[in-house]
Amino acid sequence: MARYLLQRVFAAILTVFVTTIAVSMLIHLVPGDPVQIMYAQSQGTTPEQLEEVRARLGLDRPLVEQYVTYIGRVLQGDLGHTIRGEQPVLELLLLRLPNTLVLASAALLIAATIGMTLGFVAAYKRGTWIDTVLMTTAILGVSMPHFWLGLILLFYFAVQLQWFPVAGNGIENLVLPAVTLGLTNAAIIARLTRSSMIDIFDQDFIRTAHAKGLPKAVVLSRHALRAGLVPIVTMIGLQFTYMMGGAIVVENVFGWNGVGRMAIQAIFQRDYPLIQGFILMFAVVVVTVSLLMDLIYAWLDPRIRR
Amino acid sequence: MQNRVNRAVELAEAAGAMPGPAGEESYRRPGIWRRLRALLAAATVNRGARIGLALVLALVFAAVFAPWIAPFDPDEMGAGMFLSPPSAAHWFGTDEFGRDIFSRVIHGARLTIQVGVIAVGISLTVGTLVGLVAGYAGGWTERILMRLVDVVFSFTETLIALAAVAVMGPSLTNAMIAVGIAAIPFYARVAYSVTLVERNRAYFDAAYVAGAGHMRLIFVHLLPNILPPLIVVATLGVSSAVLAAAGLSFLGLGAQPPSPEWGAMLSAGRDYFTQASWIMIYPGLAIMVAVLAFNLLGDGIREALDPRQKHR
Repeated sequence: MARYLLQRVFAAILTVFVTTIAVSMLIHLVPGDPVQIMYAQSQGTTPEQLEEVRARLGLDRPLVEQYVTYIGRVLQGDLGHTIRGEQPVLELLLLRLPNTLVLASAALLIAATIGMTLGFVAAYKRGTWIDTVLMTTAILGVSMPHFWLGLILLFYFAVQLQWFPVAGNGIENLVLPAVTLGLTNAAIIARLTRSSMIDIFDQDFIRTAHAKGLPKAVVLSRHALRAGLVPIVTMIGLQFTYMMGGAIVVENVFGWNGVGRMAIQAIFQRDYPLIQGFILMFAVVVVTVSLLMDLIYAWLDPRIRR
Repeated sequence: MQNRVNRAVELAEAAGAMPGPAGEESYRRPGIWRRLRALLAAATVNRGARIGLALVLALVFAAVFAPWIAPFDPDEMGAGMFLSPPSAAHWFGTDEFGRDIFSRVIHGARLTIQVGVIAVGISLTVGTLVGLVAGYAGGWTERILMRLVDVVFSFTETLIALAAVAVMGPSLTNAMIAVGIAAIPFYARVAYSVTLVERNRAYFDAAYVAGAGHMRLIFVHLLPNILPPLIVVATLGVSSAVLAAAGLSFLGLGAQPPSPEWGAMLSAGRDYFTQASWIMIYPGLAIMVAVLAFNLLGDGIREALDPRQKHR
């Protein structure tokens, strides 16, 4: 167990380390002069001012020195300042991160509830018309772009029926984006749950339980569901990373004030310090979540626990 | 995500083993085309896969013959009244500039096929090389390459694609490249697993004993044998590439107006969809059908190859 955990923690640290290198070098991959590109949208910036920015961002120093300075600052919680408005990047990101996390978590809850239920039913009724209908719906759901589903939901539920506000950041604004993100991912979870449960239904201990004359409900809940739950739950945990990625798009459809929306604006404005900060923060969140999932998995699976 | 790789690896290994169970002992394996044809034949036994294949062919047909199928020029403003609903003259209605949406959607198929081919081409080529070299070389090369692939893979493809677009700037070409880069780790992992299997086959040992050099072993012996399963996996990859690129265009980071790219059309029509819902319905439907086509085809191939699926 300790060895497994150490390995996972080491892998997580390595990932963040490689990300810091990639992020600090990102600006040098930009074709042309990054400082000029960043300030291309601001009128009347003099060459002296550009040089000053170059010096402040440390872009005139050797790469290794730049990296060492960067990592030193990052370790002190300083992700630099935005190009537009000179605001501290970390503060801006932390202000909006909770919104994104709330959206992703709500979506995950919706996706898991719907996906697992439908997947379980489809597996149990496999080969029947119910299975066919559910799985056809699921493959349609997997193929549906979430920005399109978002627009459709926005059109019917916010514009036509006026059940929800079109934009904003209250709890009533959370419903549509969370459902959008949740539904497309529910389809993925339903497919995974179905194939995982079918494997379990085929196993000897289930047949034995049936043969012993146990009631169906008992076999399903105590035997099948319990055995199937561990892999499904870990799998769903891994979906959280997808949710974070999907949130970037969905936030932009609904004007939800999270980090994804800010990141897209930063890309348009070529605000590299903000983009760098966003990528680093996203990496840390993803790595932390998968580390947590590894821990839960280790705790649930006795073969690793030993 | 791990799950996706596992499934792809299973699929690739099954595809690699497909025609000729004698492959294990034989010193020569059937050619690439023979194996792909056999795969396609096996896959299209499945009804979903047949529908998928038909939709893919329809998409390719629309892309190739777009100028002859589309009744109007996709960029022609005032081809009809502004924002007129679907009618006999304009099957999908017109947009805010009076452009014929049906013609635009048909022309958009060209861009979608382009996105699929170029993005998957990039990730398949680079990913295969990385996985192949790692699997062949072993030792430190393997460890460093695959560890790096693992690190990059732990991010979502969306984030990698966003970072790439942030560096290169918004355009459809850059979006295709970004989506291609984002999927490299996925293909690298699959290629790596398949290479490990192929390395242990008799034909490889035979070539090695015959004194073939590194380059010959990699490109003449291993590459042709890992390609067919990887191409099968790539069919599955097209759907996610199309979806991702459309997403980037929707965000304004890919194709720019007046391009008839479906994601860009959705994004441009956003301000009008309350008055003219057809503006957003048809381009979105087109994306969904294209993605569905490749998903169905991929599912069919997977089921054809997975012996456990047969009695399900």
